[in-house]
Amino acid sequence: MSCAMFSEQAALTAQGLLAPPSAEPLTFPRVPVSGYLDCSQPFQLGERSFSRQYAHIYAVRLAGMRPGLERCARSRWGNDIVLRKLSELQAGEKCCVVGTLFKAMQLQPSILQEISEEHNLVPQPPLPKYIQPSDELILEDELQRIKLEGAIDVQRLVTGTILAVYGSEQDDGRFLVEDHCFASLPPPLPWNGPSSDRFVLLASGLGLGSVSGEALLSTQLLVDVVTGQLGAEGEQSCAAHITRVILAGNLLSQNTQSRDTINKAKYLTKKTQAASVEAVKMLDEILLQLCTSVPVDVMPGEFDPTNYTLPQQPLHRCMLPLASAYSTLRLVTNPYQANLDGVRFLGTSGQNISDIFKYSSMDDYLEILEWTLQAGHISPTAPDTLGCYPFYKSDPFILTECPHVYFCGNAPHFQSKLLQGKEGQRVLLVTVPDFSATQTACLVNLRDLTCQPITFSGFGADNEDRDKEVCH
Amino acid sequence: MSRRAMEQTRRITDSFPRRLRRRGPGRPPGRLKDKKDKKEKDKEQDKVQVKVRDCSCSPSQRPPDPALLEMLRRFDLSWEYGPCTGITRLQRWERAQELGLSPPGPIRDALLEHRDNPDVTYSLWHEYEL
Repeated sequence: MSCAMFSEQAALTAQGLLAPPSAEPLTFPRVPVSGYLDCSQPFQLGERSFSRQYAHIYAVRLAGMRPGLERCARSRWGNDIVLRKLSELQAGEKCCVVGTLFKAMQLQPSILQEISEEHNLVPQPPLPKYIQPSDELILEDELQRIKLEGAIDVQRLVTGTILAVYGSEQDDGRFLVEDHCFASLPPPLPWNGPSSDRFVLLASGLGLGSVSGEALLSTQLLVDVVTGQLGAEGEQSCAAHITRVILAGNLLSQNTQSRDTINKAKYLTKKTQAASVEAVKMLDEILLQLCTSVPVDVMPGEFDPTNYTLPQQPLHRCMLPLASAYSTLRLVTNPYQANLDGVRFLGTSGQNISDIFKYSSMDDYLEILEWTLQAGHISPTAPDTLGCYPFYKSDPFILTECPHVYFCGNAPHFQSKLLQGKEGQRVLLVTVPDFSATQTACLVNLRDLTCQPITFSGFGADNEDRDKEVCH
Repeated sequence: MSRRAMEQTRRITDSFPRRLRRRGPGRPPGRLKDKKDKKEKDKEQDKVQVKVRDCSCSPSQRPPDPALLEMLRRFDLSWEYGPCTGITRLQRWERAQELGLSPPGPIRDALLEHRDNPDVTYSLWHEYEL
């Protein structure tokens, strides 16, 4: 009904733009916030202690996901299959083993190799992908590990995934895999979505503080559309249906992270302030404009001033003095989980997906996003190649319930897909593009779980038109 | 003048007495780590202080017998309940309970009974850093 909501409605009332202003100014009240519940308590860390090893998080990950995987294995390969631990394997016997995957990669950056004086090697430059044909997969459980070969795609899988393999141990000590399975989609949540059109705007990668100011015009246009200051009455009434804005990370640009000042002498750098200070001031002003009109959830990203390890803690409100005066501003964690009008949202700022991209042959961000959902874990590569807090009690990245909207920020392109699960799960997968590069944000309709991109671009200094394309 | 001399001998701890707070079983292991860095005599002094403090605060508790400590060491070394380093035994017990691994109940009772004793609460490799 309202797939192409903005452009259709806008076309109807576009003539109004050329008419004299109406006698009485029309007001479009924004739809009220009906249901909001913040469910990201597992990602909020209180007192942090780093005097722990990462063995704990792997142990609880395996122990937590093992029952689900054994169930999946039984439903897939029959109820009478033999489930064995690696220490109980007998050569030649067909059985099923549940364990953690480890991929031994030759090109994986290793701090030990870098500082080893024997090698005298220059540390390798960062590569887009670290996969090689010579990579090997090893399955580990609580006590032992075994090399895997056979019907398993070595290039595609990444370290830290929990999976079940079916096959037999060979005489040379390797495990010949005939089939493997993941935890598959978590159990579905009941659907309590709204009955009328409600939209949530997802944007990420605003990239403030970058050297070029081109994206600033697009950002301002975005803010103006959401606050209803752009367009004719048709567009304004549509913008009034936006109930929330979620900014999924990378509010600051990578340029604010430059470390030039570290190598220079102190007397040269004493008066220079970090580039992020100016960028955060700009962010505060933009958020102020948004918060006066619509609830905003701000997630930190890779280049934002918060901690580096996942889960990233919310930005501190002292950095945003103007905007944090409004209760509509919510500073949230990365990953973020919340119930908006009965629809469960779960998403990250994209570090988990881009890390899997580096260590897997999968190229498509949407494919990787779907794969993490099938594997039952938001970020399997943490803590191996992605920084992670050393949890010991439970792994909060294990997916226990299937969200209705699962998104990741800072993707190279916009993509979306509605996934249907076997147990009645309906998930909308959205890869939110990097706004500073693509000037595209996403509008998710909570009523029917559809998603459309909305692009803002300026064509040059003299032409001030903005172009909106709606493509599904 | 004599009054000034009297005032100089007053310390801030007179009006704000220094109170050593007793912390629970999950206290950060700063004290024990410092014990490693100090010299021998300081170490012994600390040990004596620990004993004195324990006796003064909980006179009804007996020191744990070696069989109990042996049972706790075996709990640390059993692989079914996950890694034991970096967390207290009680935290490990509760984690095993939540994951459904059914750790033995007497261990928890012993841990709660002797929660003031660092030999009981902390794991076998507690004094080794990370």
